[in-house]
Amino acid sequence: MATTDEMVRAVKAFILDEFLPGEPADSLAGDTPLISGGILDSIATLKLVMFLEEKFGVVLAAHEVDKQYLDTLDDIATLLAAKQR
Amino acid sequence: MRPWWRIAFLTLQLVLALFVMYRFRLESRTFFHVMLLATGGFVVHSQLPLRFRQPFFVALSVASIIVALGWLDGIAVVALGLVLIGICHLRIALLWRVLLLAATGGLFALWRLELVPAPWSVAIWPILGAMFMFRLAVYLYALAHDEKKPAPAVTLAYFFMLPNACFPLFPVVDYSTFRRTYYDRDELAIYQTGLKWIVRGLVHLIAYRFVYAHLASDPADIRSLGDLVQFVLATFLLYLRVSGQFHLITGILHLFGYRLPETHHLYYLASSFNDFWRRINIYWKDFMMKLVYYPSFFALRRHGNTLALVVATIVVFAATWILHSYQWFWLRGGFPIEPQDGLFWGLLGVLVVVGSLRELRKSRSRVPARATGWSASLALRTVGTFTVICVLWSLWSAQSVMEWLVMWGAAGTVDAYGVALLAALLAVGLAVGGKPWPVGESQARAPARPSSMQTLLPGLTLIALIVVASTDWYSGVAPRAAEIVASLQHSTLNARDANLQHKGYYENLDNASRQSAQLWDVRSQKPADWIPLGSTAAYRSRTDFLGGELVPDAHIVFMSQSFSTNDFGMRDAPRQKAKPAGTIRIAVLGPSHVMGSGVGDDATFTRLLESRVNAAASPGVRFEVLNFGVAAYSLTKQLAQLDDRVVAFAPDVVVFTDSPRLREPVVQHVAQAVGAGVAIPYPELARTVADTGIAPLASRGIPVPFDSLRSVAHLLGIPTRMPWHEAERRLRYASPRLIRATLDEMKGIAKQHGAVPVFLALDIVEEPPDEPPAVLQSARDAGFVVFDLLDLWHGRDAQALRIAEWDNHPNAEGNRLIAERLAVLLRDHRAALGLASSFR
Repeated sequence: MATTDEMVRAVKAFILDEFLPGEPADSLAGDTPLISGGILDSIATLKLVMFLEEKFGVVLAAHEVDKQYLDTLDDIATLLAAKQR
Repeated sequence: MRPWWRIAFLTLQLVLALFVMYRFRLESRTFFHVMLLATGGFVVHSQLPLRFRQPFFVALSVASIIVALGWLDGIAVVALGLVLIGICHLRIALLWRVLLLAATGGLFALWRLELVPAPWSVAIWPILGAMFMFRLAVYLYALAHDEKKPAPAVTLAYFFMLPNACFPLFPVVDYSTFRRTYYDRDELAIYQTGLKWIVRGLVHLIAYRFVYAHLASDPADIRSLGDLVQFVLATFLLYLRVSGQFHLITGILHLFGYRLPETHHLYYLASSFNDFWRRINIYWKDFMMKLVYYPSFFALRRHGNTLALVVATIVVFAATWILHSYQWFWLRGGFPIEPQDGLFWGLLGVLVVVGSLRELRKSRSRVPARATGWSASLALRTVGTFTVICVLWSLWSAQSVMEWLVMWGAAGTVDAYGVALLAALLAVGLAVGGKPWPVGESQARAPARPSSMQTLLPGLTLIALIVVASTDWYSGVAPRAAEIVASLQHSTLNARDANLQHKGYYENLDNASRQSAQLWDVRSQKPADWIPLGSTAAYRSRTDFLGGELVPDAHIVFMSQSFSTNDFGMRDAPRQKAKPAGTIRIAVLGPSHVMGSGVGDDATFTRLLESRVNAAASPGVRFEVLNFGVAAYSLTKQLAQLDDRVVAFAPDVVVFTDSPRLREPVVQHVAQAVGAGVAIPYPELARTVADTGIAPLASRGIPVPFDSLRSVAHLLGIPTRMPWHEAERRLRYASPRLIRATLDEMKGIAKQHGAVPVFLALDIVEEPPDEPPAVLQSARDAGFVVFDLLDLWHGRDAQALRIAEWDNHPNAEGNRLIAERLAVLLRDHRAALGLASSFR
């Protein structure tokens, strides 16, 4: 089971690579708004969901594809931690 | 600690915003009152401890409902709303709550349709509908999935939120966002954003006024490429009203701590159809994502992600189409299902599906935030997206698909204005669209304190708007600019809507779903029993060129007034056909304002005129002013009526009446006659109509626009006919010749029967046109005596002279003014009228 730090690192790398090419890693902090900040749109969010499910072996429900759960790296880590518990 | 001076500074700017609303008369009077309440409420709210703020906001919101709707309707909205909220919280399974809400909604729908009597007025439904029609779904969704249970004050604030009482069209605020973003940042920064969005909303609304009044033309008047480009562009720009209202709404909510996201973001600069969908009405997109798209996608993903994405996107656009009609039902009544809507949402849906598939398959490299360079590729994509959306929007807004198709025929008439406009739009589009504009206003992590310029900008913008609104200051040096600004300082109908309203006096507008917001604001005040004459027992159809007439000896109530006809089907006193000795007969023909729509039998201007001219008559002379007016009688119908019955009364003077909008009734009458295969019994008029080439309107077959396409269909053996809109367009082009031919026929018949023809230019209570209508000169050239009363209403209190706020026909006082002026004109022109010895 991955630690929170490992999860954040993996998700951050995925987002930087997939949606913010060329952006420095420090531009994406734990509280950077991803959905409400316009980094993730609906398709990008679905791609992120597919990544999370594949990488961490979790299953997300439709209502969890929401700013409440996926808006920041910290939110995502909290969700993943809860799923893996 | 909140520095008092910053709250005072914000309040001062809100007062300036109120002054701008007042100077430009933006939105409704109700909105202004609610804004006053919001401004005062903001000051009190900002000084309260945090725990009292939400309850205070609820109290303020309820007060705004009372202010907007009055006590009875306001209490009804709150009470019915509480019933719906109560059902959401019943301790039964979610499915049962949904079914119970649906049943309650069904009962409300019966009230909305006025099928069941209710102690409140129908005015509550647009507001109650706006508060609950979508928010209930969002709220139930949150109840089902959110772990945190809602506090009563949050729920009440969510449903009854302050500006809703005066905005039936309201963004679909997400409940979780509403709750989560409440004072989640520095409060002064939230207030500052609110003020910025209020000012942005005001700018959008003023820009909308300009587009509506000066750019949005009547599709009937599109004759060249330039007209077409301007029309298509303006149709899309009219959306500024919605984005303006939504900015105002969310701005006001910010003043009470609700840090909601932007509702629209630079939607004219979208670089793809997916980008457009994400920038325009963002709340709707989020609502669809949450309740339709993701649930559909997750339900289908076992069949593969691509299929799930395609089907989920299609479901979203189908739901959007249906839910627009559902929204329409609560806001305006009726459930419009129009082909234009299906085509618009269908085509946009296909474009978004294609874009989604591309995005899913490839890594979507967002433009880095710091990139500021102009990009040719981005510019071309932005211009292309804007162009396609403009075209789709014009289809969505069209009265019918055929009207839209026929409209494009004007593209073949290339004019200098069209080429220049296209070139200018392309240049501006490429220059602006090539810049990498951000996809959304960042809901920043911890917002930095706004810079001095950001803080001052809203106030400076408001001061600039107030200066611009003070036209007296610069009308001497820039009269044209002052005139344009003055035209933006009141809400009035543009040419297209004025024509539609005029048409609506005579017909039940069958396509209410296409009415502009401006026209709807006027027409929605009309009571249900305010029906056109053609729908009453006092009117009957005929199958000849006249088409219809008043029923003899009818006695009804029409527009709340007694309405009687005599033995001859005239709205007049009892008359004898044979002219008594010593009598001078003045026959007055014309449409509704001659017939006397909205005034009693004794208050028509013909009745009053008869008394006046008889008071001035020579000894032994008696005048009879015969009222042949019938609502919706065009000039061509007046010609037919002259022949059919007027000449039998041996009039000495025949007065034909029409307004500056005489073209449309003539076009409609002739098109109906030709379409029904009715012969036009006036050779000159019949020839002119034949020259327009509209004979294929009467053919049997499928409607196909343009001669060339009909020829192709004919070669393929497909029977075709000319579509109605093409016939209308051709007749409009030929209208000056049609009107002149009608006048010549009128004059010929009048002279043949020894009557002097008079053309009376008389409008309902509206400002005169800027230029004298061409028909006045045509009438003079044809040998008519011309009475021009188009300036009669100028400089007078129009409201005091109209029969109702929603109907501009002259009331009894207006009819008195008409009679007074006509009596003077008849005396002044007695020689030309052959009445020199008839007046004292």
